[in-house]
Amino acid sequence: MANSYDYRSVGPVDQFPQRMGRVVRMEGQEIAVFHTTDGKLYALENRSPGPKGGTIVEGIVSGEVLFDPICDWKINLADGQVLAPDSGQVRSYPVKVEDGQVSIGVPEKADGKREG
Amino acid sequence: MKLNMAREHLVVIGNGMAGVKTVENILEQAPDRYQITIVGAEPYPNYNRIQLSYVLEKSKAIEDIILNDWDWYRENGIELYTGTKVTDIDTTMKRITTDNGTLIAYDKLVLATGSTPFMLDIPGADKQGIVGFRDIKDCETMLQAADQYKKAAVIGGGLLGLEAAKGLLKLGMDVTVVHLFDDIMERQLDHTASSMLQAELETQGIKFATGKKTVAYLGDGDRVAGLQFSDGSELEAEFVVMAAGIRPNTELALAAGLEVNRGIVVDDYMRTSAPDVYAVGECNEHRGISYGLVAPLFEQGAVLARHLCGVETEPYAGTVMSTQLKISGVDVFSAGEFTDAPGLTVVRMHDEWRRIYKKILLRGGRIIGGVLVGDGKSAARLQQWIRTGTVMTDAIHDTLMGAVEAAGGNSVADIADEEIVCGCNGVTKKRIVDVIQERGFTTVEEIKLSTGASRSCGGCRPVVEQILKHVLGDKYDSAAAKQEGICSCTTLSKDEVVRNIKEKGLITSQEVRYALGWENEEGCSKCRPALNYYLGMIWPAEHVDERDSRFVNERMHANIQKDGTFGVVPRMYGGLTTPEDLRLIADVAVKYNVKLVKVTGGQRLDLLGIQREDVPKIWEELGMPSGYAYAKALRTVKTCVGSQFCRFGTKDSIDMGIQLEKRFERLDMPAKFKMAVNGCPRNCAESATKDLGIVGNEGAWEIYVGGNGGIKARLAELMCKVRTDEEVMEIVAAFIQYYRETANYLERTSDWIERIGLTKVIQTVVEDADSRRELVERINAALQQVKEPWRDILDNQKLKEQLFDEIQAPSGRQ
Repeated sequence: MANSYDYRSVGPVDQFPQRMGRVVRMEGQEIAVFHTTDGKLYALENRSPGPKGGTIVEGIVSGEVLFDPICDWKINLADGQVLAPDSGQVRSYPVKVEDGQVSIGVPEKADGKREG
Repeated sequence: MKLNMAREHLVVIGNGMAGVKTVENILEQAPDRYQITIVGAEPYPNYNRIQLSYVLEKSKAIEDIILNDWDWYRENGIELYTGTKVTDIDTTMKRITTDNGTLIAYDKLVLATGSTPFMLDIPGADKQGIVGFRDIKDCETMLQAADQYKKAAVIGGGLLGLEAAKGLLKLGMDVTVVHLFDDIMERQLDHTASSMLQAELETQGIKFATGKKTVAYLGDGDRVAGLQFSDGSELEAEFVVMAAGIRPNTELALAAGLEVNRGIVVDDYMRTSAPDVYAVGECNEHRGISYGLVAPLFEQGAVLARHLCGVETEPYAGTVMSTQLKISGVDVFSAGEFTDAPGLTVVRMHDEWRRIYKKILLRGGRIIGGVLVGDGKSAARLQQWIRTGTVMTDAIHDTLMGAVEAAGGNSVADIADEEIVCGCNGVTKKRIVDVIQERGFTTVEEIKLSTGASRSCGGCRPVVEQILKHVLGDKYDSAAAKQEGICSCTTLSKDEVVRNIKEKGLITSQEVRYALGWENEEGCSKCRPALNYYLGMIWPAEHVDERDSRFVNERMHANIQKDGTFGVVPRMYGGLTTPEDLRLIADVAVKYNVKLVKVTGGQRLDLLGIQREDVPKIWEELGMPSGYAYAKALRTVKTCVGSQFCRFGTKDSIDMGIQLEKRFERLDMPAKFKMAVNGCPRNCAESATKDLGIVGNEGAWEIYVGGNGGIKARLAELMCKVRTDEEVMEIVAAFIQYYRETANYLERTSDWIERIGLTKVIQTVVEDADSRRELVERINAALQQVKEPWRDILDNQKLKEQLFDEIQAPSGRQ
């Protein structure tokens, strides 16, 4: 089954400062949205993959990589994968930009219900 | 290729450091010689047992101390049984039986069964809450106990006991170390060193009950509630850790009919009394000694591996024991002999003011042992000298006793090839020399990644560096520069980066990274904040602060807390406030449901537990400037009451404190910066532990610098004495600017001053009037640029939203 997503509009691009994360709340989920220097937007679950917990929205963004503010692990913004030498993964959400408007996708299940 | 069938089967009982290190050595020497099976009782792959204390104090996770992961076993074709106990050894049939009934035949058998903590056999020993400190499971039990209970007792004041006690203390427990003898660590330290160590640990918060013999565990129920001592006294304890020594695990060997004393008896090649059966590590007894530290077990493993591979080897002749306490803030080292005895020459230095004690013992002019407290810098070299029995010379004496640096050190040439340099990871000198020569390594970092040397406690790093120097010879210098890069994006040192920024006129961090050939186009979490600081320091007017390169607290000008809420600390200059301000703070705290109002150590109020979106509202309603409680900048100027009210006060300390705080607030510094002003030498505002502390005397102010009350405590040193308030302002300005210009980012004044030297600081800031004037001019230029950050954000609607407002996505489908 191909993944289908339910996209929600979260406002214009210029609400998202470059290289600084911003929190978006979507159906009780906390999502951290990052805007890179190249103008790309990424959305990750706002939860550190490291052992100490915490949030990631406050991390330093370098290119396509986010430095976790708590454990300093490197996280690939595109897919949430933690880079070597550490390992783990942060949940990622697809982002669409149309006419300067950003929307974030939540996966839709076969029965039409969204994953919680 | 040999066929599997042709290979002999080597079975190792015990998947700990001794067994696996032996296997590693075998794989290195003769990878195809044996088909190898390892059977271990714990459910983990081999981990670094000596680092359990780090896991306990939560500075490392369990994954961090794994030495050989599952892949390693697979890649090397080792059959591994974890969570499996061996129940029987049949030395005639040459096979073992496991607890699930599996029979495994062997050609060679290595026992590496380790040891178990010695447990007291006294009334109440069956109660719950009494554990050893030996494996990951014990560690987990201790972590759980710390959540549920408050009072802990550690029985045993040796190395392990003290590390356990420090770990429990860090977890918030009230810890008492119970020790049978009057002196703690009496097997490694003499009375003087032991007393100094105990005093230091007491200031850290550990309590001691020495000269106490525990005769019973108290408690009405199933759980331990306290200890009863032989002198009739008692100690309340809800949790007891046994660290009073270890017992070699010999049951299996005994049952198999092997010769066992305290440990499994072995000869100089680790052979037991049964043919083709060996014992290595803590479970054995060699020449009457069962070792409980890591270095001997690695040396034994090396000898055994060579023996098993048929490589000629020197017999194992015992190990010179050395000990280094892995407790932060305490530098204690001991090796070889340490007690005065007739016929020995003693070199002794005891500095009670600096709390340093050094004692070196010589027999016939040769170094045979020593103790270092408070200054472990030469520990690694001392250990080498003891191992090799080096003859004391003037140069060595200077290195050990004086402030003189070692003269290049030809001592590494004297280290035997097979000697272990890194005790934590069992790396020999030869291994290090080999990787340098064969793989062309030029940095300690490369050696560390490849061999593990200096990876754990780091104590041997100077020796590794000396070996590198020795092997590379002339080529070393260029190599040295290579490792000093400020982060992994560049090989340039901080000084080179700063020089280039000035010479090339680089204004933004992007320009710096581009012009200086950064490997990573947008830098990393280490260089981004550092470059932003250096640029702001060099070009105060031209550089635009890069908010996205700041750590979160400085980016948001608030302190983020562990639950994602924030803390707000408004300025209270000199710790002075008014009833009106207090009322306003109280009203705001009530209105925004502040979870906690705390008086800080810097004489002001911290409002904690604030929701992200409320932070700017609170700033607005308070209308007070930021207290910078989050910043690498001036935090507070602590003051005493001073001459306005105090009967002893000779100087108006409050007024001076307020003046200083107003003048130097908001200026970025390499690290946080704390000040204090006292009206008299009673020092109620505690100048001795501040970056800059001022003490008023009749007719003069004394200025102390480089103090620190944090992780690594350091007493401030007197920089100068001045008469007028204006002179204070000028000297302080020059000092701060000198620190801003020469310190590495994140380097506190305490470390900076030890690196630069107080004499140099005094010359530049106090004695040389020209340089002082120039420093003051530069700091004034920088101070002109500072802005009140809370107002700044409140006045910038868009920035305020971006930093503090969350976006709510509409619910339901579009």
